[in-house]
Amino acid sequence: MILADRPFRTLLSREILRFTRVWVQTLIPPLLTSILYLVVFGVALGARIKQIEGIPYLEYILPGVALMNLVTGSQMNSSWSVFDAKRERYIDEVLIAPMSNLQIALAYSLGGTLRGVLMGAGVLLIGAPFVGIGIAHPGLLLLIGILSAFAFSALGTMVGALATRIEHISFLTSVVIQPLAFLGGVFYSVGMLPEALRIATLFNPIFHTVDAARYATLEVSDLNPYPTIAVVFLIAVLAFCGAWWAISRGPNLRY
Amino acid sequence: MNGTPALKVEKLRKTYSTGVLALDGVSLVVEAGRFFGLLGPNGAGKTTLINSVVSLARPDSGSVEVFGRDAYEEFREARRMIGVSPQEINLDKFLTVEETLLFHAGYYGVPKAKARERAGELLERFALTDKRKQRVNTLSGGMKRRVLFARALMHDPKVLFLDEPTAGVDVELRYKLWGYIRELNHNGLTILLTTHYLEEAEALCEEIALINGGKIAAHGTSEELKEHYNAASIEEVYLKVVGRDLSG
Repeated sequence: MILADRPFRTLLSREILRFTRVWVQTLIPPLLTSILYLVVFGVALGARIKQIEGIPYLEYILPGVALMNLVTGSQMNSSWSVFDAKRERYIDEVLIAPMSNLQIALAYSLGGTLRGVLMGAGVLLIGAPFVGIGIAHPGLLLLIGILSAFAFSALGTMVGALATRIEHISFLTSVVIQPLAFLGGVFYSVGMLPEALRIATLFNPIFHTVDAARYATLEVSDLNPYPTIAVVFLIAVLAFCGAWWAISRGPNLRY
Repeated sequence: MNGTPALKVEKLRKTYSTGVLALDGVSLVVEAGRFFGLLGPNGAGKTTLINSVVSLARPDSGSVEVFGRDAYEEFREARRMIGVSPQEINLDKFLTVEETLLFHAGYYGVPKAKARERAGELLERFALTDKRKQRVNTLSGGMKRRVLFARALMHDPKVLFLDEPTAGVDVELRYKLWGYIRELNHNGLTILLTTHYLEEAEALCEEIALINGGKIAAHGTSEELKEHYNAASIEEVYLKVVGRDLSG
C-alpha cells in the first residue's frame, strides 16, 4: 500500500491550507516576537556582550532564535490542529476515511513540519540583512531544520491526540517547550554555564537542535554536530512513534 | 449484486470504558439495495453500531463485512463503499462549502476532475451553489445538514448510513430530504437509516430492526412487524417492543 496516496496527500494539503488561511494568526505574530528577541537581546543588550567565540552577539543568537521559532511553530501547529479537530469532532471524517492511523499521524506531523520550517526560514531571512550572515553549510542547516521541526511537530500531534482539555495544549507550549527553548543555549554558549547546569542542558533536546543549527550556520558549536544529527533523528523517530500510537489509541478518537 | 449483502454484522459486542455494554452480540444482515431502518430509544446502540462498522468505535468482538469485504482487515476497500451522514454536525470549520466536498472526495481517493464534477452536481442538488465559497461555520443549521448530506455522497458510496438525518431540520427540508433519499435508493444505493422519528421509518424503510439495550429486539418488513405484534402502526410495534423491555 502506498503511504503517500491521494487520501494522505489530501489531509496534508488540508493541514497546509489551515495555517496559510489564517496566516495573520499563525505566521506573523511569531515572526514579530522573534524580531523583538533580536532587537532586545541582540541589538540592545548585545552591544554590551560584544562577542561569543569570536562571533558578534547578534549573529551568534540568530540561528538559535530561528530554531526556537521553528520548534514552537511546528509543535503548536499540530497540537492545536489535532486538538481542535477532535474537540469539534471533524476529525471523525478523517478517522472513518480509507486512511491508516500511520498516514493520519504522518500527515498531521508533516503539516506542522512545514509551518515550523517556514517560520525558521522567515526569522533567518528577516534577521540576515541586519547581521550580514552567511550560511556555512546550507544542506546541513536544512536537514537539522526539517528533522527538528518534524520531531516537535510529531510531539505536538501526540499531545493534541492525547489532550482532553485545552490546558493540556497550553501546558505543552508554556510549561515544557518555552522553558526548554529559553534554556536551550539560544542566547548563550553552554561553556558560560556552571558545571551542573551545563550537564543538565545536555538533556534538553532543544539545545542539541540549536547547537547543530549554529554549527551549520556559523561553524561554531558547543558539541560535535554530527552525533547531534543522530540524536535529533532519534528524537524525531521516538516522537513520531508516540504520535502514531496516540492517533491510534488516544482518548476521544476511536471509542 | 450476486447476493452479497451490503452489510453483514455478526455477534458484534462493544463495551465502553465506562463499563456500559452498548452492543450485546448484535447480528444483522442488510441486503444490497435495501432501505433499512434501525430504530430504538436514545442510548440503544444505534450510533455505536454504525461507528463500529467504520472503526470509530472499537468492538470487543464480532465481525463486520461490507459487500463481502472485512471492515477491519480490508478497511480501505470497505470504508470506500460507505458514506456517513452523522447525527452531530462535524464540518471542518476552516473550509468553505465547496472545499468541504472536494477535500472529502480526496480523503476517499476520488481524482480531482471527477470530484469537481460531482461537487458541482451535489451543490446544485442541495441548493448550495451560491453558498459554495462561504465558510461552513457561517451557515445556518439546515444548510450545514445539507452540506453533511452532500459530503456523504461525494465519493459515490454503495451504502449510505444516515444517522438521525432529520434531527433539528424544518418540515420543508425534511420532505425534500426524504424525496432525495428515496430517489437514491431507487437508483440502487443501499441505505441504513437510524431514527427515532417513527413516521420517518414507516414512510421510508422497507425493512426495520428495533434495537434496544444493545440487542436486536425485533426485525422484519414493516408489514411483518405489524402483523407479528398485532399492531396498526410501527409506532405501536415500537411501544410494544420497547415498552415490554422497559417493564420487563
